[in-house]
Amino acid sequence: MRLALYVTCLVDLMRPSVGFAALRLLEAAGGEVFVPEGQTCCGQPAWNAGNRALAVDLAKKAIGELEGYDYVVIPSGSCADQIRNVYPQLLADDADWAPRATALAARARELTEFLAEVRPLAQMPAEFAGSVTYHDSCKGLRGLGIKQQPRDLLMKVRGLDLQEMPDCEECCGFGGAFSVKYGEVSTQIVDRKCASIATVGADAVVGGDLGCLMNIEGRLRRRGDEKTRVLHIAEVLAGGDGA
Amino acid sequence: MRAAEHSQAMHFQARAGEKVRNPVLQRALQKAKPLFVGKRAKGIAALAEDGLAFEPLRAACEEIRNRVLADLDVWLAIFEERAKATGAEVLWARDGDEICDLVIDVARRHGVTKAAKSKSMLSEEAHLNEALAAAGIRPVETDLGEYIVQLAGETPSHIIAPAVHKTIDEVEALFAQEHGRPPEPRTSADIPAMTREARQVLRQHFLSAEMGITGANFLIAETGTASLVTNEGNGRMVTTLPKVHVVITGIEKIVPTLEDFATLMRLLPRSATGQTISNYVSLLTGTKRPGEYDGPEKTVFILVDNGRAALLGSAYQDMLRCIRCGACMNHCPVYFSLGGHAYGWVYPGPMGSVLTPLYTGIENALDLPHASTGCNQCGSVCPVRIPLPKLMHRLREEQVERGLRPWSESFGLKAWAWLAGKPKLYRWFARRASRYLNWLADDSGRIRVFGLAPGWTAGRDLAAPQGKTFHELYAARKRA
Repeated sequence: MRLALYVTCLVDLMRPSVGFAALRLLEAAGGEVFVPEGQTCCGQPAWNAGNRALAVDLAKKAIGELEGYDYVVIPSGSCADQIRNVYPQLLADDADWAPRATALAARARELTEFLAEVRPLAQMPAEFAGSVTYHDSCKGLRGLGIKQQPRDLLMKVRGLDLQEMPDCEECCGFGGAFSVKYGEVSTQIVDRKCASIATVGADAVVGGDLGCLMNIEGRLRRRGDEKTRVLHIAEVLAGGDGA
Repeated sequence: MRAAEHSQAMHFQARAGEKVRNPVLQRALQKAKPLFVGKRAKGIAALAEDGLAFEPLRAACEEIRNRVLADLDVWLAIFEERAKATGAEVLWARDGDEICDLVIDVARRHGVTKAAKSKSMLSEEAHLNEALAAAGIRPVETDLGEYIVQLAGETPSHIIAPAVHKTIDEVEALFAQEHGRPPEPRTSADIPAMTREARQVLRQHFLSAEMGITGANFLIAETGTASLVTNEGNGRMVTTLPKVHVVITGIEKIVPTLEDFATLMRLLPRSATGQTISNYVSLLTGTKRPGEYDGPEKTVFILVDNGRAALLGSAYQDMLRCIRCGACMNHCPVYFSLGGHAYGWVYPGPMGSVLTPLYTGIENALDLPHASTGCNQCGSVCPVRIPLPKLMHRLREEQVERGLRPWSESFGLKAWAWLAGKPKLYRWFARRASRYLNWLADDSGRIRVFGLAPGWTAGRDLAAPQGKTFHELYAARKRA
């Protein structure tokens, strides 16, 4: 099975360990994994800003790079949502590109979807001695319907104790440019998420979107929580703390 | 546009900051949020007891609203004809000014000096209370929340809970002053007593007002009926005791039949307060008939456009399905960080972020469509399936198309997209960015102040990148 890994721009720049963890997981699932050259960003920031023309350009670029694999796997709910739900509507009126966008969308999977549904592993390679709580990112949850998959996968990690936090489906306040444009509001929202996390007192908060995780981690640390680890689910499932 | 003159939506940023830093407001909001969310969840779950499920039911509600909007002119004509047949007068208002003129005219014709009002967001669009007062007619808000807000000289901060931003201490201070007694220490256990006190004051107004003013949750075309969905009973008083009843409502509020109304009522109270049905559901048809003991001698419908007709057939038509339940704001992380006043015009929360630019001018509310994390908590609870994030997104696109975004933002995006289109250069740039961010970080690997995104580090740290970029490491690995 030929798999393309779409690393995402945030993982590339901020936390490459997530990309390598995803790579190891896909290989463990028996895929022949490629990292298509030339990939940069899916164009979501332009789309969110309302700049359709730029979003179209970057969508076409990504489609060109990601076509021709059995699956394209993305360790991010929001980038996966962009490729699967936004690309087809962005290019719907373009006779040449619409079928290509739809075909790619049909092969695009968020990482936990892929690992839970396409090539399920009986056991995860990792061990995790401690408790974790899972934050449902908005685009993954409400855009792609990802809810049970990450939990099922986490349960397959030896030693891991999954504890649900209250309001795990509440937005963390990231929202891409929103977190910078409306920093105070965003901070107010993530404060509520931090309070939810604190009520379970887990060793780590885990999620599937690096943007949300950077937001949560940044606020936890500013609030003085030095203890709660903030991890991408790929890192937890692959073990070895990424790297 | 008159609406734009009253809008403070352009000051969203500044107001948002004030609201975030207001501890009294924050206490009130933190208390209200779990109540709204929890009650709705229970109400929706209880649909199963009636053998119903949320998704098919809201698809049915969406269909009813779409059916009306597809032929709105026809349904309005039917409503007008049927309402007139019941003895009501039907008037049409293009905008807020016309609403005020029509109400004042009706009031003068009937010698009205005091108008008792039930909740009406359209009267907020029109700034009707100010206009009535200027014409020598005293408006008295009789919904408890509206009464509190009126005493405070404020506007509603929520469409179904107008005083949700107020704490009990603030309400007590207002009541003590207005009702001429010393303030007392209050807890939530005192709410029934405080409510009783307000009722006693309001009762005098119900009895002495010559005019009652209400909105309508729906107008039922087949019978020419206005429906009112309320919990406090003031709606009944306002529509039965005064001799004149004026209904002010938007032209989109029509539903074809009583059957359709019943379907919508399955979801309206549940979405709003979690109730399977509100304490009062009134169907008001025509005036007092011979032999009847109560009801108005005169019923006047004022059907208002104020920007609605322009949405028909536009990219925003879905917004006209709105049945004003408030579920979108009750589930909005932004709304519950700020309260409604930050939004600057009549409607707050996600529905306000769509309606305010559409009704007051896109150029007069540039922040609102962006004041969303895109979480779609609103869209997933909307009982008539309005794709609120999609509509906000369309407004963002329109801002770009009309050149309304700041130059720096447009330039920054273009530069970034240009770079993202050149992978080799992008890789080089990402490597440099990674080094730069690491240089900014302190010993613990955190950036505390980031000049390029001060909004981020004002409230959060930024963890520095791990080191080399993924593509840098991956290329090295492949070479090895």
